[in-house]
Amino acid sequence: MNRTLFAKELRANLFVSAIIAAVLAMYIGTIVAMYDPKLGKSLDAMMQSMPELFAAFGMSMQATTLLEFMLNYLYGFLLTIFILVLILVMANKLMVRYLDRGAMAYLLATPNSRTRIACTMIGVMVAVLVGLCALVTALEAGFAEALFPGDLDVQALVQVNLGLLALWLAMAGLCFLSACLFSNSSAALWTGGGLCILFFLMQMVSQAGDKFEFLKNVNPLTLFDYYGLAAGDASAVGGAIALAAGAVALFAAAVAVFDRRDLSI
Amino acid sequence: MSATIGPSIAIEGLTKDYGSGRGAFDVSFSVERGEVFGFLGPNGAGKTVTMRNLMGFIRPDSGSVRIEGLDCFAQRARIQERLGHLPGEIACMDEMTGTAFLEFMARMKKLRDRTRMNELVEYFELDPARRIRKMSKGTKQKVGLVCAFMTSPDIILLDEPTSGLDPLMQSRFIELVLEEKRRGATILLSSHLFEEVERTCDRVAFIRAGKLAAVEHMDDVRKSRKRVFAVTFADAAARDRYVAAHPAATAHGTASVETTVGGDLDAFVKGLAAYEIVDLTAREQTLEELFMHLYGSESKGGSHE
Repeated sequence: MNRTLFAKELRANLFVSAIIAAVLAMYIGTIVAMYDPKLGKSLDAMMQSMPELFAAFGMSMQATTLLEFMLNYLYGFLLTIFILVLILVMANKLMVRYLDRGAMAYLLATPNSRTRIACTMIGVMVAVLVGLCALVTALEAGFAEALFPGDLDVQALVQVNLGLLALWLAMAGLCFLSACLFSNSSAALWTGGGLCILFFLMQMVSQAGDKFEFLKNVNPLTLFDYYGLAAGDASAVGGAIALAAGAVALFAAAVAVFDRRDLSI
Repeated sequence: MSATIGPSIAIEGLTKDYGSGRGAFDVSFSVERGEVFGFLGPNGAGKTVTMRNLMGFIRPDSGSVRIEGLDCFAQRARIQERLGHLPGEIACMDEMTGTAFLEFMARMKKLRDRTRMNELVEYFELDPARRIRKMSKGTKQKVGLVCAFMTSPDIILLDEPTSGLDPLMQSRFIELVLEEKRRGATILLSSHLFEEVERTCDRVAFIRAGKLAAVEHMDDVRKSRKRVFAVTFADAAARDRYVAAHPAATAHGTASVETTVGGDLDAFVKGLAAYEIVDLTAREQTLEELFMHLYGSESKGGSHE
């Protein structure tokens, strides 16, 4: 890690991260506010009127507790798709654009190895995602505590969010590897991004209809079982660990590729 | 780093094939410590490919590229401790101001003393306060030059260093190169302009279509370089008589000739005295012409861009 580069890139990515954080804060606030422990049937009624559509976005459970309600409406879609957008913006800023515009030549014209440069860029991504995950957890707990004191199982929430972080990091690893792999800038950005989007579509299709249930088995997103994590299931914890391990492997592969490849800069 | 024996920069049999004739093919030359070495060739001849190899951006298909005995690809980070580099394409971090960029680069290079950096900013009359995106090409080039020289490196690689600079700044650049040479720096500069190479370099390599045509001492090149005179006669008849008498001259336009003159300037002027001359202009041989002259038989058949 190079502190100078880390500080510069963290600052450069702060603005877009703040926007994503603001959007997530708005959604978290809205969803938590919509929870009504006694009369909370309106959303359920809406859900029953168009079950396939809600199921596609991962909102299919009859929510009985505040945590289940949040899991149902936040974790299937909102807390993942917005983060994917942020990850793609960061992968573009931290690697794709540097190579495409040739500015990487300046970074490499310093006594810093390619491994060090790549690890610093990964460090920025991980720092932003960890910070955002902490913020999301704080917002969820904060809103819940303010509106429904004592209703939220905070420990279960933390378990779920650690799994969520593993999922984010795995997506970031995939996008960063693709950014390091290709010299064509569109391919570098959209191979990783496209795969993530494909996984989301597969998940939506498999949740909506029984016919496509088999897609679940080939989809890495299935490893993030948030209901299982809330309950502390061993298999769900295993899935989260697998995602984290995948993230480490993908980032390591990205560094190795970046260290060895030819750079036309 | 311990002092190594042998040349500062050593390229042996470097081949990097990008397909369809682009790249570098079996390029070999070396640059001695404290030498200023020019690397001349037309656009797309393989100058930048060679520079990328020296910077460790790309790995040679075959051959070896070494700086101070270190492999340029495998040990690039160590080499960078003593190296200054100006990329051929000025693509700085657009969104930064010049000041912020230079400060950032100084930190990345672990440069403690900013005296030299500020000296260079003043020397090139650079106003670094603006955003790099809004700067003209010449100003961006100045930022790159300050960046390349600010650590007072032992080895300096410059890819087309004067592109975008006005004539005053071009001569300042040449002064700077000579000053750095006196300090003992080894400098490799690539160019397609003969003038900047002529005024700075001890030796020069000609590259064309990825192949090294020759490495020459600048003094020898200067000696063999001739002038081209364009002479306009009063009428076509006089021109034709002159061409008949001087087979070296080639007819141009209605009443003009172009002729290349080496050492026998006196004979050329006296030969013209018998005719009525309307106009006479002289220019230096272009790089291409000189090149053809030096290596005519081998290179004429080659791919001419």
